[in-house]
Amino acid sequence: MNEDAAQNPGPVTHILSSLIERSGALTALLVSKEGMVITEAGDTSYLNTTAMAALVAGMFSATREVARIVGEKHFSILLQQGESRHIHISLIHDSKMMVLIFEDHQRIGLVRYEARRAGEELNSILMPTLKPSEAEQISTPQFKEYALNLIDRIFQAK
Amino acid sequence: MPHINYESKELAFKMVYYGPGLSGKTTNLVYIHKALEAGRRGDIITLDTEEERTLFFDFFPLDLGRIGGYNIRLHMYTVPGQVYYEASRRLILDGADGIVFVADSQQDRLNENVNSFRMLQENLGDYGVNWKEFPLVLQYNKRDLADILPLGTLEGQLGLNGIPVLEAVAIAGTGVMETIRVASREVIERFQM
Repeated sequence: MNEDAAQNPGPVTHILSSLIERSGALTALLVSKEGMVITEAGDTSYLNTTAMAALVAGMFSATREVARIVGEKHFSILLQQGESRHIHISLIHDSKMMVLIFEDHQRIGLVRYEARRAGEELNSILMPTLKPSEAEQISTPQFKEYALNLIDRIFQAK
Repeated sequence: MPHINYESKELAFKMVYYGPGLSGKTTNLVYIHKALEAGRRGDIITLDTEEERTLFFDFFPLDLGRIGGYNIRLHMYTVPGQVYYEASRRLILDGADGIVFVADSQQDRLNENVNSFRMLQENLGDYGVNWKEFPLVLQYNKRDLADILPLGTLEGQLGLNGIPVLEAVAIAGTGVMETIRVASREVIERFQM
């Protein structure tokens, strides 16, 4: 996460940080169904969050297909149990995944309870939002020109 | 529509390499990954079978740089080419911002190319995307082999008018960087909020 985000945590980061505190989990991530990290909280130093997000999204999509095959719309929770680390993934808004990594399996009940609670809070604030002023800034012709120059420079034939 | 994270100031575009089995999608991705300076690329993830055929997807994140306070990234994916992995292909296309269709230039692979492209049209249609209005690039790979399809064959059969077409020998890196350059330019040029 960059410095701006670390200094000015938004409401989503706040929810995930509280979730970490209440559940005793190690790491929390909010991931889009396209496989991008939206927000992260807790310790991420041991984790490649970009790769994790891509894999979790793939896993969740595959599970959704499995759900359809057995006549369900989706499975709202995925639990992966390891020897020392475990992952609890819950579906938010049908388009995002909240990933919680925790170490003490005895706490699974607490993790599930707190994850559900945080999920409800996220559901209430994660309506599609667009910040028009920033959106305009990104789509300016100058932005495109810079981006095209970067692309030409980076992908020179080698 | 790219993924924008206002909190961490990131803008990420999803690029997907699509095409029939063994056409060279992973080879393209691996070459790009190796050719980039280390600071621009994240680790590559490959989910393949014992026979080195892509099972689910290959992936790596690529940093283009910073513009207007935003980190601009490409998330590079391949899909599995084999016909029976249709479900995986469709899932990975979800949210794609641009596609490179990697065709196998060998004459006897014409039907596989055509069928794969039709499946791509169908998969995009499932997401409400009209491929004719979508950033799409056609790469004829394996141009070093004998008995190859003349350029124009697939465009003619599939009605691909006006899409960028490139030739490549991905295993030697020929045409690989040019393909991703053209494909990412298409994505940026059509990008609108």
